[in-house]
Parts: sequence; C-alpha cells; structure tokens
Amino acid sequence: MLRTALRNVLAHKARLVMTVLAVCLGVAFVCGTLVFADSSAAAYRAAASKNFADIAVSVTPKEPPPGAAANQRTSVLDDALARKLAGVPGVTAMRPSVDGSATLNAADGSPLRAGKAWANLAAAYVPGEDGKDSRYPLVNGHAPRNGEELAVDSGTAVAGRLHIGDTVTLATDGPVMTKRLVGIVTTTDTRVTAGGTLALFDKTTAQRLFASPGHYTGIDLSAAPGTSQFELSDRVTAVLPADRAEATSGSAQAAQQGILVDTLTRGYEKLPLVFAGVSLFIGSFLIVNTFTMLVTQRTREIALLRAIGASRRQVVRSILWEALLVGLAASAAGSLLGLGIASVLPDVLSTGADTLPHGPLVIGPRPIVAALGVGVGVTVLAAWLPSRRAAKVAPVEAMRSAEQPPSTTRSRIRGAVGLVLLVLGAGLLISLTGAKDASEENLQSAMLGCAVLVIAVIVLAPLLAAPVIWLTGRLTGRFFGITGHLAQQNALRDPRRTAATASALMISTALVTGLAVIGNSTGQALDHQAAAGLGADYVISTRTPTTGIDPAAGQRVADTPGVRTATAVTDSTLFIGGRTQQISGIDPDTVNAVIKLDVVSGSLADLGPGRIAVSSTLAREHGLSTGGRINAGMGRNQGFKQYTVVAVYKDNPTAHDALGAHTEVQQNGFMPRSVQRILVRTDSGAVSKTTEDRLRTAVGNNPLLKVQDRQELVREAAGTMSNLLTLMYGLLAIGVVIASLGIVNTLAMSVAERTREIGVLRAIGMDRHGIRRMIRLESVTVAAFGTLLGLAGGLFSAWAVGALANGAMAQYSLALPWETLLLMCLVSLAIGAVAAAVPARRAAALRPLEAVAEA
Amino acid sequence: MTADPLAMHALHPTTGIAAATTDLSKVYGSGDTRVVALDRVSIAFREGEFTAIMGPSGCGKSTLMHCAAGLDSVSSGSVRIGTTELSTLNDRQLTQLRRDRIGFIFQAFNLLPTLTALENITLPLTIAGRRPDQQWLEHVVSMVGLSQRLDHRPSQLSGGQQQRVAVARALVSRPAIIFGDEPTGNLDSRAGAEVLGFLRDSVRGLGRTVVMVTHDPVAAGYADRVVFLSDGRLVDEMTHPTPDRVLDRMKAFDTRSRTS
Repeated sequence: MLRTALRNVLAHKARLVMTVLAVCLGVAFVCGTLVFADSSAAAYRAAASKNFADIAVSVTPKEPPPGAAANQRTSVLDDALARKLAGVPGVTAMRPSVDGSATLNAADGSPLRAGKAWANLAAAYVPGEDGKDSRYPLVNGHAPRNGEELAVDSGTAVAGRLHIGDTVTLATDGPVMTKRLVGIVTTTDTRVTAGGTLALFDKTTAQRLFASPGHYTGIDLSAAPGTSQFELSDRVTAVLPADRAEATSGSAQAAQQGILVDTLTRGYEKLPLVFAGVSLFIGSFLIVNTFTMLVTQRTREIALLRAIGASRRQVVRSILWEALLVGLAASAAGSLLGLGIASVLPDVLSTGADTLPHGPLVIGPRPIVAALGVGVGVTVLAAWLPSRRAAKVAPVEAMRSAEQPPSTTRSRIRGAVGLVLLVLGAGLLISLTGAKDASEENLQSAMLGCAVLVIAVIVLAPLLAAPVIWLTGRLTGRFFGITGHLAQQNALRDPRRTAATASALMISTALVTGLAVIGNSTGQALDHQAAAGLGADYVISTRTPTTGIDPAAGQRVADTPGVRTATAVTDSTLFIGGRTQQISGIDPDTVNAVIKLDVVSGSLADLGPGRIAVSSTLAREHGLSTGGRINAGMGRNQGFKQYTVVAVYKDNPTAHDALGAHTEVQQNGFMPRSVQRILVRTDSGAVSKTTEDRLRTAVGNNPLLKVQDRQELVREAAGTMSNLLTLMYGLLAIGVVIASLGIVNTLAMSVAERTREIGVLRAIGMDRHGIRRMIRLESVTVAAFGTLLGLAGGLFSAWAVGALANGAMAQYSLALPWETLLLMCLVSLAIGAVAAAVPARRAAALRPLEAVAEA
Repeated sequence: MTADPLAMHALHPTTGIAAATTDLSKVYGSGDTRVVALDRVSIAFREGEFTAIMGPSGCGKSTLMHCAAGLDSVSSGSVRIGTTELSTLNDRQLTQLRRDRIGFIFQAFNLLPTLTALENITLPLTIAGRRPDQQWLEHVVSMVGLSQRLDHRPSQLSGGQQQRVAVARALVSRPAIIFGDEPTGNLDSRAGAEVLGFLRDSVRGLGRTVVMVTHDPVAAGYADRVVFLSDGRLVDEMTHPTPDRVLDRMKAFDTRSRTS
C-alpha cells in the first residue's frame, strides 16, 4: 500500500502543494520559535557564564530578620571581613563590590533607557592591586576617583551621546545628582549589553549610596586551581557570621541566572507559538479538505481496489501513508523555513531599549522533534476523517457513474449537533454578561464559551452556506448577471467543501474581529480612565514604584512660574476586608483644584487622622456610608485601626479607592517622607513645552520622574494596546495566507471537475473573460461567506466577553473599530479575488472542444 | 415563422451555403506519430438542409464537425460559416460567432447541472446579454414538449428530456447552423426518435440548417443528405437516405476494411 500511496502523492503533486505549504507554515513557526528560543537562551547563558567565569564563591549579606535592631541593618561585609576572606586557603583573588541601580539622563536631558531598575545598573569601581578593576576594563579616560566623578560603559555613552568631560544628571532613588563623566569602560554583563545602562562611582560614593560607609553589597572570590567551588564555599561559610552573610558558589549563581534567562526567553516564545497554533489549526481544515477532495476524486479508483479485494483497513492505511508522506515533506520544508525565521527573529523582536543577544543558531533535538511531530501529527490526524470516508466507499461504486447526493440524515445529525453546541456556547457566554468581574474562573468560562461557539459554527457552516450564499448571490447576480448567478450556484454545489474552505477565513476573521472590538473598547476605556477625574494639567510621577519624589521638590514645583497650584499626593495601600485597596493621601484644601471629585455625601474638609473618604464602589462593597466605621490596615502599618468614613465620592481613577489626610498616609507609607505624585494646575490651564521644561527643572531633571500632561497620560495608557495590535494583524495575515491556499486548492479542484461544463459555456459563447470572472466571483463568494460567519461570531463573542471587562473597568463600553473591521473585510474579499487568479486563468484557457472530446 | 430565416438572410447576406470547408486538412502529431485525421475535405452545407456525416470509427467525422464549428483549429484549408472565414477570427470573435450563429447539441447533453431547464435553454442569450424573444422561446419550448418541466434541474429530467432541453438551447438563438455530435448516442430508440424528429422539424418547419455526426443508420435516415467519410476523406454522398440504404453503404465499408 506504501507504493500506492507514493504513486498517489506524485500523481497529485499540484493538489498537495497547497497542503504542504499550509503545514509548512505552521511547522516553520514552531521550529523557528523553538530554535530562536534555544539560540537566545544559549547566547544569554554564554554571556552569563562569562559573568561568573572567574567567580568561585560570592558572599552576600543576609536579609536582617524582621524587627532587627538598627545596628544589625547595616551590612557585615566590611574591609575586615574582606581581608579575612582573602586569607582563606584556596582563595587567589578577592573583589569586593558595591552594586545598586542608577538612572541617567542622556545629553539632551531625557531619561536614558529608563523604567527597568534591574537594567539600570550602578556599581563601584574597586581598583585591584594593579590599580585597575578587572571587571570594567577602561577604554577611555580614567576611573572615577572622587564623589564628583563618574564612568559609564561604552554602550550607555553611545546611546546617551555622552562624552568625557560632560556633566551627567542621574538619580539613584531619591534626589538628583550631577557628576562629571571621566571614563568609559566595557562590560560583559548581559543586563547592560541587552539594552541597559551602567554607571560606575568611586568606592566611597557607591558605599554611601548603596550600602553604608565602609561596607560592601557583595564579595567575589576566585579559587586556586585544584580547589573546587564547593570546597571553597564550605571553607568560606565557616568564616562568615552565620546569620548575617552567606556564600554561594559561582556555578550556582550562573545556574540561577540561567533560570532567569530561561523565563525571559520563554516569554519571547509565546507570541510566535500562538501564531503557530492558529496556523496549524486553520491549516488542518485545508488538509481535511484536500484529502476529502482527493478521496472524492478517487472514489471509482478506491471502489475498484475494494472490488478486487482490498480491505477497508488497507484503503485507510493507504490514505494515511499518503498523509504521512505529505506531512514529512511539509515538516522538512517547514523546518528549513523555521531556521530562516529563527535567524531574523532577534531583529524583529528587538526594540531600541531591549536588544536580544546575537549568537549562532543552536539547533537542538527539541525543535526538530517538535517540527516533525507537529507537522506529521497534524497532517495524519486531519487526513483520518477523509480516510474513514474512503473506507466507506462500496465496491459497487466502481460501476456507478453518477455521484450520490449527500444523505439527508447526516446533515440532520450535523444540524442537531451544531445547534446543541451553539446553544451551549452562546448560553455560556450570555450567562457571563451578568458577571461582575474578570476573575480567572469567569475568563476560563469565557474562553471555553468562545471555543465551543467556534466549533459550533464550524459544524453548522455547511448548513449555513445555502442561506448566506443565496443572499450574497442576489448581490453578485444583480451586478454580474449570469456569471454572478453561476458563481453562486457553483459555490453552493458542495456546501461541505465550501464551508471547509471558508473555515480558515472564518476562524481568522472571528479572532481578529473579537480582538479588534475588545481591544478598541478597552483602549477607549483606558483613554477615558487615564485622564478621568483629573483636574490637573500636569502630573509628575515616579517611573518605578520603589522610588519616591523628594518632598522638597513639591515646594519648588509650586514656586515655578506659571503654576497656580501644586498638590503632592502620597499613594499607599489600605487593607480592607481581605483585599488591598489603593489610598491617596491628599491635602483637603487644594485637592479640588487638581482632582474633579464628585462627593456623594459628607465633606472632604473633615479628612484627618483616623478619618478617610471612600469611593462609592468601596462603600457599596463594604456597606459603608458617611459616618460609618471600618477596621483597616494602612500602608506598612501591620495592625488594624478603626477609621471613620467622612465622605463618599463617585469612583475616580485619579483619586483611587480611598482618600486620606496627607500626613497620615505619609506616616504609614512604605517609603517614609516621600510623595508619589505631584498634581499641577497651571495659571490658565495652559500646557506648553516651556512649562514642561520648567517643571522638569523644578524636579532637578530627575531621570526617575515623569512629567506628563493629560494627552501624554492617555497616550501612555493606549501604548499597552500596541502589542494586541501586532497580534491582531499577525493573526489576520496568517489566516489570510492559509485561507488563500485553501481557496486556490478548492478552486483548482472545482475547475478540474467542471472541465466539461466550462467547455460547454465556451462552446455556446461565453468568452474567456466571462469564465475568469465566474471563477473569481465564486472565490469571492466563498471568501465572503467565511468573512460573514467570522464577523458574526467575533462580534457576538466580543460583546459577551466585553461584559466581563465591563465589570472590571467602569469606563468600558462596546466600541466598534469600524475602520479595522472594514479593512479586514476588504482584505478577506480581496484575497478571494487574488486566490482565484491561477484557477481562473486555467479555466479560461480550457478549449471549448474539451466539452465534447472528453466524453 | 417563415419570416425569420429571411430576416437572418438580411443580416448575413449569403450564397445559400450555411457553412463550407475547402481543402480542409487536420494533422495530429509529427514524424512517426503523424496522424492525418482529415485529408483535403471540401464540403458545403446548404441552408435549410439536414445533413448527416457518417463513417466508421476513427474516420474523422467528429474532427470534421469540430473544425467546421470553430471548436478546433485546422492544419490547412479554410472553413466558412456563411461568408465568414474562421481562420481570420481571433478567440473573442470566434466565441461571439459560436454564441450568435452556431448551435450545439452534444452526445452527453452537457447541460449545466446548477441551472433549471429554462435557464439552460436561454443560457446562450443570457451570456450574450440579450433578452429572449418570448414568442420564439415559447414556440421552441412547446415544440420540444418541455412546457411543464421548465423549472426542473437536469438531474430531475430523463435523458430524452435533457437532450430536448439541449435541442431547445441550440435553437433559441436562431443560429445559422446547428451542429449535433451523436445527439442520440446516449438515448434509447424512442427518445432518440423524438429528438431526431425535432431536428427534422426545425429544418422543415423553421428553415434551420442542421449538421449531425452519427454512426446510427436509423438516425441518418432522418437527414436530407448523408455524406460518408473514410480515413479522413470524403468518399460518398447520398440524398434522401433510408436506414436500409445507409446500412448497405456502411456494410460496404466493413467488407472493404475486412478485405483490405
């Protein structure tokens, strides 16, 4: 049977090419993604092991136990301990380090690659015996020697256009500092080379900033040849004060970083793997369709095989062999294509601030096995259904000429199953519209509902084909006359085939519609939310949650020309009824100038120690009203305290869930004496570059702080949507490509089957143009059918799922992205027309004689 | 109805010849595989005449019809429909000529399965973008006895009924000439007789011109004239044939091929 299968594959090369292409595409995504992940993980690991190459043991201070005395809070890693460690037998070199984080300003005053504390490194330049720090080789200038001097790595210098002699503005956590750039170094630290920054201080300054004078944050030790890391680790541990410091071997550290790197790169796999999944899912319809067509085409041949004694199982096996061969070819081609994808992915995924390491492609067994498994598996599985149908071919059909009409009982079963699924899916989704929040459970039901709905529509599609295409046929018939009419009739001739062909477009259209609608609605809600309730013209806020604004800056902002009011807000948490809410500490006198509060009851003037205001949602959830009392824990204060509610205000994203007096919130804040936001009202509500620059100057050009007007706030909130947009257009592209492959395949088959009919049309006077138009219209009809079903399914799901978002986001309302939807429909229809090009040309080239000759 | 052929004459001034071939040759392949299907065939089909083309299998009778109808290209010689020389036409003009001036009836009926009987009948007019002459359409439809079955799909019709639809389709655009390729080949004798009756009626009553390829002496008996082809050459001709005379003539081919 293998030989029959091989012959069949070769005989239907052209037909199978499309199937191979579709599978190949999915396999390429799988293989490419995995190879890319392996390669970048290897590159990261190589860099990481370089970082730890000559570190045998690292000594780090232990976290002091909670409630430890003040003298225990300082690190025990001082020069005395360092000298003691250097004397441990087997240690050849000892390097103390002082590490922390610092954010720099570029030469033009804008923050440089800011926003990720872990990538904005700062360290001490600790010269060894030769006067140099071996970790940071100097390439230019000299090492920082006092508190006024600074060195950076070459990447940072280039990115920030910083030159030796420049005055650089930077901040570590609080106040802003300026230092003179005196040296440029190189580093192999992957966190820096992958798009971070490095600032080097002299030892004393770094100790003051990140530890305490005379202390270090870590001590690295190198081992003598013949001394193992673990041996040395044990010896070092014996010397350390047990509860204050610990020793970690270099390989353990490298392994730890390796795990971190792995989680990082696994993140990069997600999106391409989603594409792979979608393309394989859509592609499987193409496979089912192709093999069904091949089986139909070969009915007589199969019947003949059965008549001369082939068993059902042999017939099935022959088809599956064929699928296996096709799957193998596709997987091989896909793997090659995948390697190409893997080599360009680093450039595609890298953004300015986030450079992926380049390295040689690592082709491990995992991608190859996955590619083969997925490619062959999907093909064989998808061919299984058609092979069952082939097995049902009765030997007598070899003698029959006319095609049997499809049985009505099957379509009745199909209708029943489809309807049940439809009701299940829709019911599940509709039941969710009553849901109040986007809890994990609700989200899972929503996804399940959508999946069931998609399957229901796929099952029902052949039955829906007739009414939907009848409708579109009225349009094509009106505009294109007989060719339109014939196109409609031809599309309806085999509703199952039409439905299967349209499925690819349907799935991608549904996905894109759903994502587009939810994305657009969420985006608009975020837009509203970002600036909702904000009365201020500017918001100055911190870039990372672990930093605060120097309270003194508040006064400087208020004194800035053009500023009418500046109110400092301290953000903290309020632990109420088992949940953490956000509380804003405000000044009741000035709050009305910067936050548009709609007070339902009570008065904000009564805010004070022990007296808070709550949002109406919070009030409803806990049955609170003005004058009520509630136990809550504020900020780092662990104990509960009774608070009196003095006012209830309508939900306000700027004010958060609760308001408290500024002083009280600040006292309980995580960072003492700090504020998180300064809300600024300008004289006439004016927003200008000058004002913004003045405000920046007022906060000392601190790179840790953001100065944003309302529009920038909105834009920042909308920025989170861009990932979704990429995903959306990616899915649309995949769907369109695979759908067009499917359409080409189906049309080529239809043209081959209808050779004689097309010949008759030519003989009785339809010209080539008419034939071409007929085939093209048929294709567009199929595409329109898929698009319409997908559009309907996607819109319904988006509406139902949107209700969840509605519970979580007060501003959410269904907003249809008309332009995106229109674009999607046009692209889908256009793909129908384009996919028809080759089959239409082939049909038009048929000579009228074939109608007569092929008797 | 007799006015209609006259109207056609006015549009296409003719010499009384509906179609003609002159020294028509058709050669397939080259070298060792060279096959001469038609060898310098010259024949004219007169207007208002029912001609049958006969001959043993492989004599080239189908090829002659295909070439005369503009379905197949010729190797040398000329083919005219009315006064139009086919070799001068490009594909588009040829298509229009087929659409407007030639009717076809095939052995395998070749109706479009997705269209109703009426839609199939009017298809040539629909393609041309013309409205059918309602009177003429009704006349044709009632002549072939399909008035009650116009809404049926081909799959709901018997073979004889399908071929009657095909006859109506060939007649509806009032072509100058109708070509039939074994039109009774797939029918039983009763249905075949009906179809042949319609073809003869369309010649006698409607003044059409019909050329039919057949190997059935009974079918040939309906024609006004029978031409015999053998090995790609025109070998004989018979006017006012009867099935018996045609059968005798065909037997002569058999004996000759047996003795040769």
